[in-house]
Amino acid sequence: MTTRQHNYTYDRRTVLKTAGAVALGASTAGCLGGSSETAERTVLGPPENYERRKEIDLPFPDYGEAIPEATIPAPLHDREVTTTEFVGDRHAMLTFVYTTCGTVCPGLVSSLRRVQADSVAEDYAEEFAFMPTTFDPETDTAEMIDEYCDRMGVNRDADNWFFLRPDSPEKARAVVDETFGVAYSGSGGHYEHSSLILLVNKEGIVERAYNGGPPEAGAGVDDARALVEGW
Amino acid sequence: MRRRDLLVGAGSLAALGGGAAVAFDVVETTDSAAVEAVSLDVIAAPESNADTVMTPERGRVTFLELFATWCNVCESMMPELVAAHDAVGEDVQFLSVTNEPLGETVTREDVATWWREHSGAWTVAADRDLTLTREFEASGVPYAFVLDAQNRVRWRHRGRTDAEEIRTQIRAAEE
Repeated sequence: MTTRQHNYTYDRRTVLKTAGAVALGASTAGCLGGSSETAERTVLGPPENYERRKEIDLPFPDYGEAIPEATIPAPLHDREVTTTEFVGDRHAMLTFVYTTCGTVCPGLVSSLRRVQADSVAEDYAEEFAFMPTTFDPETDTAEMIDEYCDRMGVNRDADNWFFLRPDSPEKARAVVDETFGVAYSGSGGHYEHSSLILLVNKEGIVERAYNGGPPEAGAGVDDARALVEGW
Repeated sequence: MRRRDLLVGAGSLAALGGGAAVAFDVVETTDSAAVEAVSLDVIAAPESNADTVMTPERGRVTFLELFATWCNVCESMMPELVAAHDAVGEDVQFLSVTNEPLGETVTREDVATWWREHSGAWTVAADRDLTLTREFEASGVPYAFVLDAQNRVRWRHRGRTDAEEIRTQIRAAEE
């Protein structure tokens, strides 16, 4: 379990949410004033197709579920980042891409970038962390990632964008596919892959899992703002 | 019913896991309602000093392309757009619109420079608050649209296309 940093507002609601997240379905839920656990742990309501989604055994963490923990090098920061290290401190967005992808991936990354731009414009940059992760470390060297971030207009000064790179194809497989449930096949700069963006709240719980392509126009920003405002 | 884009390679992706299947339940449709005109900030325009442009325009056909300067496919399509633009007359509103965030890392000047470098000779504008992008439910770039003189969407296309296809669709909307 990761360390929870509660250097943020220490109000009753946060405490309740933390308790709910830690309990993960344990009977202590009954002590929390009768609110349902799921409702305490997410700000956004269930997604439109949630009833259907629940019936499918989705391979990735979906709405209301905790994100898995993985520690991955962040080559532009000269350190490792753990996917859960911002729990208690920042909301997060994650996606899984390769930089030479010309179709889906730029849309996924630009969805994160849109929220980053909004976070700077609307003064919530310190409330968010963005973690795009490559599954093609052989092609995506630190230099490639650096150039890619420039092309996508990433704001480095906001200090909330961590591009992650597992340091071998084996580790990429373990993290992206086996841990986060994002399937891919291919090699050397050409892949078929499923598409996922996770919007995760400060307790590490998924508020939205956008799959099958980027969120509809503007929806990512709307959801991120609703999360910040509702927290 | 909402319009959604069919992702490139959707069929092969579906085989990769149950997750992919959820998003592909609605295929693209074109509705016959007129689109409401929106005002966009002009970044560069030939022979005009207007700060804003209204699109689509009633009374003539509109061609719209949503793009971003980071988008390689958009970049590679510029010669096709140049050719299509050369072939159509003043009776078509021909407009490119970027919906990338501007002013913080990428500026209006950056877009204007990119536009010059890629021989853009028609109006380029910015969809700053995504009004147009949302109205057209355009979840990616490039995304091309042709609207008829009554501002009804007659053609929408996600991804790469060419000058011939654009001209064909404009001609069809003019009939």
